This record gives sequence, structure tokens and C-alpha cells, in this order.
Amino acid sequence: MSGAHTARPMETADLSHHISRRFNEDLERVRGKVLVMGGLVEQQLANALSALIEGDSKLGVAVARGDLEVNGMEVAIDEECQRILATRAPAAGDLRLIVAIIKTITDLERIGDEGEKIGYIASRLAAMERPADQYREIKHLGRIVSEMLHEALNAFARMDSEAALRVARQDRVVDEEYEAIHRQCITFMMEDPRSIRRVLDVMWVVRALERIGDHAKNICEYVIYMVHGKDVRHTKLEDVERDLRVGP
Amino acid sequence: MISGTGGFLHVALRIVTAVALGALLGWFAGHVWLGVCGALGLYLAWNLWHLRELHFWLQHRSVADPPDAAGLWGEVVAQVVRLHRRKRFHKERLTRLFRELRRSTAAMPDGVVMLDPQGEIIWFNRKAGEMLDLSRRADLGLRIDNLVRHPDFVQYLRRGDHSSPVIVRVDGAQEKHLAFQLISYGEDQRLLMLRDVTREVRLEQMRKDFVANASHELRSPLTVVAGYLENFGTDPALAELAGPIAEMRRQTDRMTRIIEDLLELSRFEAADGPIKGAPVDVPAMVSMLRKDVLARPTHPARVEVSIESGDNLVGDEAMIQSAFFNLVDNAAKYTPADGAVFIRWWTDEDGGHFSVRDTGPGIPSEHLPRLTERFYRVDPGRSRETGGSGLGLAIVKHALYRHGGTLSIDSVDGGGSTFTCHFPALRLWRRTPLS
Repeated sequence: MSGAHTARPMETADLSHHISRRFNEDLERVRGKVLVMGGLVEQQLANALSALIEGDSKLGVAVARGDLEVNGMEVAIDEECQRILATRAPAAGDLRLIVAIIKTITDLERIGDEGEKIGYIASRLAAMERPADQYREIKHLGRIVSEMLHEALNAFARMDSEAALRVARQDRVVDEEYEAIHRQCITFMMEDPRSIRRVLDVMWVVRALERIGDHAKNICEYVIYMVHGKDVRHTKLEDVERDLRVGP
Repeated sequence: MISGTGGFLHVALRIVTAVALGALLGWFAGHVWLGVCGALGLYLAWNLWHLRELHFWLQHRSVADPPDAAGLWGEVVAQVVRLHRRKRFHKERLTRLFRELRRSTAAMPDGVVMLDPQGEIIWFNRKAGEMLDLSRRADLGLRIDNLVRHPDFVQYLRRGDHSSPVIVRVDGAQEKHLAFQLISYGEDQRLLMLRDVTREVRLEQMRKDFVANASHELRSPLTVVAGYLENFGTDPALAELAGPIAEMRRQTDRMTRIIEDLLELSRFEAADGPIKGAPVDVPAMVSMLRKDVLARPTHPARVEVSIESGDNLVGDEAMIQSAFFNLVDNAAKYTPADGAVFIRWWTDEDGGHFSVRDTGPGIPSEHLPRLTERFYRVDPGRSRETGGSGLGLAIVKHALYRHGGTLSIDSVDGGGSTFTCHFPALRLWRRTPLS
């Protein structure tokens, strides 16, 4: 193949490539921003949990304040997505990416809200008497949920639908764990009515963690939608798995 | 070149002979031109056949043997074979070298990630894969900050200055601390080095906690001892013990000061990173320092303060006050009663500067690098006499560090010393806007 033969088609190919590259850069940038926001939310959750477990009221307040930044990022990414939709009119995979991003940031923002709630409660609980088990159950649930969120965001970064499915399945463990702690809390309250106030606060935290698990599962569903173009919301996980095996 | 010309001569001779032969045959047959054309046609066919052979061999070079050919064609084939061999030799050598390099970086105890200008992962070694949970199959070509999302790391990556590493806490099955450092090389390539510093961070934390707790625990018993000694000092029944009691009181005072300084130092250390704070009125603070010196029981005869700027500093007031006071106190302590202390506050385009110059004995140059270490003594006997804790300059250094500033010390043995605090221009709060 000599240069002279291919010179002309190369030039035109380069031009179209250039246009789509600018577009690609736009998409890449907004995707990167989602993951930066995800990192911030992960950090907020980690800080909220350590504020609760270590009884650090200052850190709890800092987490509650930090949610403003998460909200700001949601608005910024949302605007950028709208701009891309309006100016580039993306189709197929690109459109799915934008739709998935718009949905993902909503869930991330909600996770941020739950983190804020945990931080606020942590700062209040820090002043009260600590439970005998030192929040062992919450620590455990918190770790499962943090890991779910981490893996969900990794699946988003890697566009890995199999990993997303694995993470979505984790949500069942969270639900079981939530049930167990719920029952335990009820027992505590029956044994010692003076602890009701504190245990109610703890239940709010557990509830928030369970909700974060749900949001992480949602993010995984958007990843599957983004990769396969299949809407798997409100579908049994087994059916999703079978569909994905059979499908492309 | 010579063989090439020889080859061409050969070819030319061959064509001339073939054309002559053709012409001769044609002349016998009565059609000279037909004979010439026939000879040229045969020659062309022969060339085409060799060209085809060569083309076929070049296409199936790996399996087919080179074609046998005479004359110029043979030389072309031989040349191609030589070039090919040389290329293969270089390629093998490079591959071997590359493999060795990869194997050696893979064996390194630290994690290494190669990044392109956009921050996309080009390659990483096994250790980095383990530490960051990267997979070779899926993660090449992904941006590093998409996978390592800790806000501190993302900020570090975007920052222009990567000279010092960033330490990030990773909460997984167990808490880990990773130190990331970015190194630029080549045109735009970047190397990300990462190291597990969990042990170091824990030890450092333990040390800080120990110092803070020990000082705190020592303070209460010492207060009790000091209280009793104070009572004994005024008790007439213990008049013959007045000397020892006075000495004991001096020593408990000194111990209290050391503990206070230790606590102050650990308070400065407690939080990491630069502090934000609020504007601090440095000119007012500096003018008060003169009174502090004159309030000492013994003080130099001359204390001069020159405030050359009305600018304030953004920072922690207690820390700045403590740093300045320690410097001025040191100068007053080591300057004889007939000496002088000069205090100065000025600003320029580099930032704000606070200096204390004395006419004391000066510091031998070999001590200068270690002067800010905790409990470092230039002259052990002398400084115990003056009742210093040995922590003053460590406090100064730490307070400046937290404000992004530095301490410089100029001293001539026997000719006085100058201690200067430098604050970055970003910390200045201009009272009057520059015209």
C-alpha cells in the first residue's frame, strides 16, 4: 500500500474522525465527572460511617455540610448532559450513555443525602452513651454497602455488565442484614425502654444504609442498560441473567 | 555500488546480445523487426516470471524459500534476505530487552502504573494491580481517576505540582494507607508510583498519640507537686530548706514549660495539611512583642521593632503568635544585657517576612541544620541554665509548615543570628489594595 493511493480517503476519514473525537471527548469528560462525583459520595459515606463508629461529632458535621458539594456536582453534570443532548443529538450507545448518566447522578445524589443523614445522626449520637457492641452490626452492614457502591462505580467505569449483575445480587444480602438488625433493635428497645431514643437513631442509620444498597443496585441496572440496551428494572435477577446469556 | 554497476552492465550486455541475436535470426528469416520484437518479448517474459517469483516469496516469506535467480534478480533477492535478517535480529533483541524490563518492574516491591497524557492506563505491574484491584483484561485504556476515585487523589492528579506524594486512606476489608506519587518522563508520559504506607502512618499516629497522652498525664501530678512546693516556700518552719525548695520550684517550672510546649506541638501536629483560618493582624501582634521582651526579668537594653507593612496574614492566630513569641523569646534569652534585638515585619512580591536579629553569641554553622529538631542543644549546659524546653524552634517550624511558610537561619559564630519566617504571598491579606 503506497501513500499516494490512500491519501484522499484518509483525509476525509480524518475529518469525520475529528468531529467524532471531539464528541467522544465530551462524553468521556462527562463520564469522568460522574465518577469524580461517585468518588466524593464514596468518601462521604466512608467518613459518615467512621464518624458514627468512632463517635467523632466534628467529622459527622463535616459530612453533613459536604453534601452541598455533591448536590452542586449533580446540577453541573445534569446541565452538561442537557447541552450534549441539545447540540449533538446522540444516538444508540451514546444516547444510552447519556440517559444512564442522568439516572446515575440522581441515585448518587440520593446516596449523598443518606450519607448526610448518617453524618448528622452520628454527630448527635456521639454525645450519647455508646452501645455495648460498639456498632459491630452497623460496621458490618456499612462495609457491605460501601463495597457495593465501590463495585457498582467500578462496573460503571469499566462498562462491565457481568460485574454489575454480581453487585446487584449483593442487594439481597443487604436486605437480610437489614432485617436482622431491625429485629435486634426491637429487642433492645423492649429490654430497656430508656434506650429507645438512641436505638431509633441507630435504626435511621441502618435504614439509610439499606437505601444506599438499593441505589447502588439501581446504578448497576443502568450499567446493564448502557451496555446491552435492556431495561432490567423491576425484573427478577435470574431472568436478567438468562436474558444476558442468550442475548448478544 | 560496484556490484550494482556491474550488474547493470551485465543486464545491458544481455539485452544488447539478445536484440542482436533476434535481429540476426530475423535477418535470416527476412523480418528483422519481428526478430527484434521476439527477442525483447522473451526477455520481458523472463523478467515478469522473476518478478512474480519474488512477489510470491515476499508474500509467503515465512514459509517459502527464496527463489533462485541469476543476475540482477539474484542480487535483489540476496539483498532482501539480508535486510530481513537484520530486522529480525533487532526485533528479537528489543523484544528480549522489553521483556526483561517488564519482568524487573513486575518484581518491584512498589506499584507502578504507566499513564498517557490523558491519564489513561497504558500498563501496570502486578503489585499495582493488587493494591488498586485493577484487572489487566479490562482496565488498560481506562482513565486512572475513573477507578481510583478518592477525592484527594483526583485533586492531586489535577494539580500541577506532584513533587510530594499524596497519602490516601482506603477502607476495604481492612484500613489501608497508600502513598501515590506521579513522575513525569518523556514527552507527556507519566509514571504513577504507589506504596503501602499503612505501617508508617500507624506508627506516626501512635507516636503523636503517645506524646499527647503522656504530656497530658504528667501535667496533673506536676501541678500537685508545684502547689505543695509553693506552700513550703512561704513556710517559716522550713527556712533552712529555702535553698533546695527554691531550686525544686525552678525545676518544676521548667518541667511544666516542657510539658506545655509538648502539648502545644502535638496540638499543631494533630491535623494535617495547610490550615485556612482568618486574617491575623500581624502588625499589632509584632508591636506587642516588644512588651513581652521588656517584661522578662533580664532583657537586652535595646529592643527595636520596625513594622514596614500593614498587611495581615491569613492563618491561625495562636500558632503565628506562638511562632513569633518563641523566636523573640529565644533572641532575648541569648542576648546579653548590653546587646540589642531587632524585630522586623515586611512584605514583598515573594510574600510576608518576619525576622528577629540579635547581637548574641551566634550559632556555629555545624549546628544550623539540626537546630529545629526536638530537644536539640547547641550547648547543653548553657541552655538548661536559661530554662528553655528545647522545643521552641520545633514549634516555630511546625507552625510555619502548617501555613506553607519556611524558616531561614543566618548566623555568624560570635556575631549574632537572624531568624526569618517567610510566608507565601497567597497568605497575605492586603490592607490597602495595590494601585
